[in-house]
Amino acid sequence: MIGPSRVAELDMPGAAIETTTSRPAQSYWNESWERLRHNPIGMAAGVLILIFGVVAILAPLFSAVLTHFQPQSVDLLATFKPPGGAHMLGTDELGRDTLTRLIWGGRVTLGVAFLTVGIALSAGTAVGMAAGYYGGWADDALMRFVDMVLAIPAIFLFILMSILIHPTPVTLALIIASVGWGNVARLVRGEVLSVKQRDFIMATRSIGARDVRVMIRHLLPNVLPVLIVAASLGVGQIILIEAALDFLGLGIQPPTASWGNMLTNAESYFYHSAWLVYFPGVMIFVTVLCSNIFGNAVRDAFDPRLKS
Amino acid sequence: MLAKYMARRFLASIVVVLGVTAITLALMKTTSGSYVPGIDLNPSLRPEDIARLRADLGLDRPGWQWYITWIWGVLHGDFGHSMIDGSTVTSHILDRLPNTIELTLTAIVIGVIIAIPVGVIGALRHGSKTDHTMTVVSVAGFAVPQFWMGLILILIFSVTLEQHGLPWLPSSGAYSAVNGGDFFDRVEHLILPATVLSFFYISTWSRFIRSSMLEVLSQDYIRTARAKGMSERRVVYLHGLRNALIPLITLIGLELPGLVSGGLVVEVVFGWPGIGKLAFERALQYDYTTVMGVTFFATLLVIAGNLLADVLYGVLDPRIRYG
Repeated sequence: MIGPSRVAELDMPGAAIETTTSRPAQSYWNESWERLRHNPIGMAAGVLILIFGVVAILAPLFSAVLTHFQPQSVDLLATFKPPGGAHMLGTDELGRDTLTRLIWGGRVTLGVAFLTVGIALSAGTAVGMAAGYYGGWADDALMRFVDMVLAIPAIFLFILMSILIHPTPVTLALIIASVGWGNVARLVRGEVLSVKQRDFIMATRSIGARDVRVMIRHLLPNVLPVLIVAASLGVGQIILIEAALDFLGLGIQPPTASWGNMLTNAESYFYHSAWLVYFPGVMIFVTVLCSNIFGNAVRDAFDPRLKS
Repeated sequence: MLAKYMARRFLASIVVVLGVTAITLALMKTTSGSYVPGIDLNPSLRPEDIARLRADLGLDRPGWQWYITWIWGVLHGDFGHSMIDGSTVTSHILDRLPNTIELTLTAIVIGVIIAIPVGVIGALRHGSKTDHTMTVVSVAGFAVPQFWMGLILILIFSVTLEQHGLPWLPSSGAYSAVNGGDFFDRVEHLILPATVLSFFYISTWSRFIRSSMLEVLSQDYIRTARAKGMSERRVVYLHGLRNALIPLITLIGLELPGLVSGGLVVEVVFGWPGIGKLAFERALQYDYTTVMGVTFFATLLVIAGNLLADVLYGVLDPRIRYG
């Protein structure tokens, strides 16, 4: 399943004919990439996310060259400036430049989202793989625990934990991931249950490979497609959760800008400064939209049977 | 078979409820430190008053003792008194529950009424312009943050309309404080939050109905129904839709916990006096008993929702067996 086909190397009658008539040997990964590459909307969404990512990483450069403002620099003489002029997207109640804050906010928001996905995937994979591989009481205990985590009304957990930790971007990612890993664990366990029945796993174990080696070298590569799909579909959801937490004042704390907390105060300035409401929301919307479209494209690429 | 299955589910549910409430308490205990709920409200409290308050509320005891007392109370139907205002937690929940049900139920009903035809049309004309347009709208529905959509609706229908001297919709609360509370007043307040909530439901459910309708319509029994000369209308609605609705039942069942947590953000944005807003405000104030009560209630809803979805699934689709 993984790696190039060895058919041509075998000295078998008919092998030569097969290689000349069929297309070049393709790995599962290559085929998936080819399918993804030929999905223009999916690729466009992916590229847009990539651009947002690059802009976020280069935020200091952009605020030095493009906007000439710092995200935290207050200018009380230029509050509520409408878009245009020196402030391309206007200023907020403290005269801070909206565009600069959007760029820096994207750094925080996207950073938290990707970190969360990373944490949730690692923890979920570890638990799901252990449960699926060992089975028996370990499976029962771990999966009941997962059930319990998923039964907690997540928003309470977020509220309580963010009061406890006073979130920084890293701890906020930990908080959101503390619920998100449950679904990943379920997915991975399901995959492992089916993959571990295959002959190559028995072969590996029969030559004396240790459990850890079987899991990392042989099960993990087979679970990877599921993980990649879960990751690309998860980013959008996590951005929405994070933005909502920030908006409620439970996530990233001011003065650090994030797309969510830029909207917290916007409600008070509706009457004269509606742009404060538009821009951060549009950024969240477009980013989540792109992640969802890209995630669907990745899923279709890895599992064309699922394509609707 | 079903009895044994239900018994096992019931036992598992007890473990889940105990676990969730214990985690909630542990989190609150560790986060609150020596804070006593409500002391901020009265700055003239002396240290000895605060100490007495602590003892009265049982906060000087270790968490596990507090927990056992609490569970004992719950078993006797007593959820205790709010640590902030002294009224019973049950009365708080009963106070807020009708508002939340009003909002969520309206949104679910609107969601179902719109999602079913949208999904069916999408499936019947799949690949058409109509289908593509509806797909785009529902994909957008997944991506729009609910609180932001709420803000935009308030901006348009409350702020802008009012600025232009046009009739506008109220942006917060469930009814007017002054001479409000009649039917039309409540509906007026309901429109904006229900729109936000149902928009999300419509985008989710119409996709599910569309794909499950497409799947059902390719089944053999549909071909049989057509082959025996049944009218297309009857094929689609009697044989197709009825089977295609099964996944929707599950989804609606899974929305039950949304009564508490799903609508929380919408309730906060629109100042809707529901359970979610209650939980949010009281968690910020460390009102242990209220938060524990709502958590208990919310967890029960999650379990009940899952169970309801599973059982209904079996009723609607006899091929499903419980093992």
